Amino acid sequence: MTFTAPGRAPWFQGRNRAIGLSLLLLLLLCFPQIYPKSYVMGVMCRIFMYAILTGSLNIINGYSGQFNIGHAGFFCVGAYAEALFAMKIGLSFWLALPLAGVLAALIGLVVSLPTLRLRGIYLAIVTLGASEIIRLLALNWEGLTGGPMGIKGIPSPMFFGLKISRSPQYYYIFLFLAVLFYLVTDRVVNSRVGRAWVSIREDEAAAQSLGVETARYKAMNFMYGAFWAGVAGAAFAPYFKFISPDMFSLDEGFNILSMVIIGGQGTLVGPVVGAVIVNFLTEVLRPVSQYRMVIYALLIIGMMWVRPQGLVGASNSILAEKKAGFWRRKPRRPAAKGA
Amino acid sequence: MGYYLSQLINGVCQGSIYALMAIGFSVVMGVVGLVTFCHGEIIMLGAFASYYAFAWAGNNLLVGILASFGASALVSVVVYKVCYERFFDAPHHISLLCTIGMSMLLKNLAQIIFGPNFKPMLDVLPNRFYGFGQVGISLVQLTVIATVIALSLLLFLFFNKTRWGVQLRAVSQDRKAATMMGINVKLTSLLGNAIGCGLGGVAGMLLAIYYQTLIATMGGAAGMKAFSASVLGGMTDVPSAAAGGLVLGVIENLGITFTSASFRDIFAFIFLLGVLMFRPEGFARKQGSRP
Amino acid sequence: MPVLLEAHAVCKYFGGLKAVEKVDMQVMEGDIHGIIGPNGAGKTTFFNICSGVYKPTSGAITFQGEDITRLTPEVIARKGMARTFQNIKLFKYMTVLENVKIGFHIRTRTGMASAIFRNACYREDEQFTERKGMEILERVGLAEVRDTLASNLPYGLQRKVEIARALALDPRILLLDEPVAGMNPIETRQLSEFILKLKGDGYTIVVIEHDMKFVMGTCDRVLVLNFGQKICEGTPDQVRQDPGVNEAYFGKGLVAGGGAA
Repeated sequence: MTFTAPGRAPWFQGRNRAIGLSLLLLLLLCFPQIYPKSYVMGVMCRIFMYAILTGSLNIINGYSGQFNIGHAGFFCVGAYAEALFAMKIGLSFWLALPLAGVLAALIGLVVSLPTLRLRGIYLAIVTLGASEIIRLLALNWEGLTGGPMGIKGIPSPMFFGLKISRSPQYYYIFLFLAVLFYLVTDRVVNSRVGRAWVSIREDEAAAQSLGVETARYKAMNFMYGAFWAGVAGAAFAPYFKFISPDMFSLDEGFNILSMVIIGGQGTLVGPVVGAVIVNFLTEVLRPVSQYRMVIYALLIIGMMWVRPQGLVGASNSILAEKKAGFWRRKPRRPAAKGA
Repeated sequence: MGYYLSQLINGVCQGSIYALMAIGFSVVMGVVGLVTFCHGEIIMLGAFASYYAFAWAGNNLLVGILASFGASALVSVVVYKVCYERFFDAPHHISLLCTIGMSMLLKNLAQIIFGPNFKPMLDVLPNRFYGFGQVGISLVQLTVIATVIALSLLLFLFFNKTRWGVQLRAVSQDRKAATMMGINVKLTSLLGNAIGCGLGGVAGMLLAIYYQTLIATMGGAAGMKAFSASVLGGMTDVPSAAAGGLVLGVIENLGITFTSASFRDIFAFIFLLGVLMFRPEGFARKQGSRP
Repeated sequence: MPVLLEAHAVCKYFGGLKAVEKVDMQVMEGDIHGIIGPNGAGKTTFFNICSGVYKPTSGAITFQGEDITRLTPEVIARKGMARTFQNIKLFKYMTVLENVKIGFHIRTRTGMASAIFRNACYREDEQFTERKGMEILERVGLAEVRDTLASNLPYGLQRKVEIARALALDPRILLLDEPVAGMNPIETRQLSEFILKLKGDGYTIVVIEHDMKFVMGTCDRVLVLNFGQKICEGTPDQVRQDPGVNEAYFGKGLVAGGGAA
């Protein structure tokens, strides 16, 4: 019997869940054989990649309640790391991938360390600054990163002698990584570690009084989210074959943030929903792509007004609260909720 | 030697613009009590408002100040209604995310309306330079510093000598107590927000005049510097925020003399990290208040 | 009986406000030690200093002979001190059982690697928290509401859940901040009996309370605070007769005029 993470739908447990997810996986595996159109494959690859990016941001923002708005920075680190590992050291994609993730995680540690014991807003600003600094370094450290021209001709991964270069093939890599991310994250979240994270989100002072080492767990959480963002970046670099600093601007960070806010924070499925919706919208809104960010901004504001936890976010959590001060000295008779 | 002195003067001048941004931010933080992420965009809008004011009404600095102050104050009312009014009693992250959305909205709307490229600022002030020995100061720099000093004085008088100012300070210290004294807290917050944002707008105009250019994406760096500088004052204390801005400007300018201009923003970030690591609560004294 | 928790000349100033002024306290092992005083006397602030939430301006706290003054709350919790809060700090959106399970954090060891690979450590910890969690709930009488959201419970039960969660730490000392606030006389008596039962189980308990019947009926020793200063410390009878205490509660005039004491 495992701990039910707050917000989990009770009907989607156990056997039902295993069957449902297996069917979905089967469908996704067969999809390229049924509909191999390159454009669609490209969209699906992007959705899988963003599912990892939003999922990892959600671990930080939604599960431990910290405030990271500079996720693009870790994405950038992962992408550049893979490109440089592959091109300067000739490392294989499959080795470069986890190494890039580790590098991103270490940078995540450095970023989060100064503000672990401070209020959340300081972390938010530091992550914003860090994301920009990472981009600026990529832009100006011409010797290492090629400066504004970026890095091109990033070598494709090899899989048992087969060169992976077309979208349908990449589809499987991204699908594999996304599934891996969610499997691993599901296990971490439904364990003592995940419980500690959620307790920090819900009431940090109470968690401390129960012995939860909040600083350590917040740092661990941040590193975990940064790691997977780095992995997503490392998968992105050879896929796109070209990376440059302006792909990893603050706008990209806000893009990922929008997906998490719209789809839902604090649950595993929320960020996936967000990734699907926003990427779908991106395609639909191509004719008016200037207004895309405007629409996402309005959606964020709208969500905060109507449903702060997001569409399929954790409704049983502090994320869903629209009015603070729920704990009052209650009168003796059972009071109506939300009075 | 003269080179470093002139960089110092640059630093003070830039620092005074940062000081104005930080003062505005601290006023908003203090009176509204909620953190805003769109202060940078407010600054940017002030810059553009002054640009068009100069284009239509001639090179009158006062007109520019009024236009930038007014435009930013007007937009701040919208920000207040959308991001703050409903959320005073809600968990803080909701209004914060709302201001993030607002900042995205304003920035992208500005890019659509004003275009995404750098706009050269009109020549508002004549290009005069006053030298004494090895150093000199330009008319632009003098004007910037003078404007900031003038506005700070006005703010000081407003806060300490007018009834509205007292109300603003009361609300900034304790909202509930202010309500009980019959102060219209909602209106006061609205006013405080408008004043803080208006000052930010003027700072935007000064940025545009000083750098002779403006762009719709200038809000990001500006907002971060406003925040970093005001952290020095615990985010709500105005004089410390001003000091923070000056220090930031000097550090930035001295920093880029030893490295390169493209690292300017990195110094702001290092400054912020430094303050956070050594004195996160800032330097303002808080008498008798509970943590 | 050895001294389990001790405060030496603890002071806490917030700027010009002297919240706690040179307070000494000695809690004997196995005792129920009460802390009383008028509102604003500094009782909760003093608690916060003991449990590490505040650092005192001067003075020291010793627990089991060890100086814990500068330690963080989570380290102090690990050393065997558990506490509840004046405004209940339950995890509102978790169920009762989930709340209690968080209490087992320091008694389990699963880290990220164990969680990912679901090894023996993970399985043992999950079984442990489930089993022990139910044990505590049964002991406290909350087994029926194990799957109810904490915020949906009536007030009296919420307080009990908070205590159950604190018990999950297997602490040597329990600090309870106003456990019977807002309860009716029946609930108060039930909780009083429960706390006495805890004492019988070997826990040392420090209680902040206003309810005099509760304090005088349950506590072995009492510390009285007023305006942040210690007025008196002793058995309930000693405290009842102490003139300083009477003055604090009833005022000089009443006492001088041969009043309620």
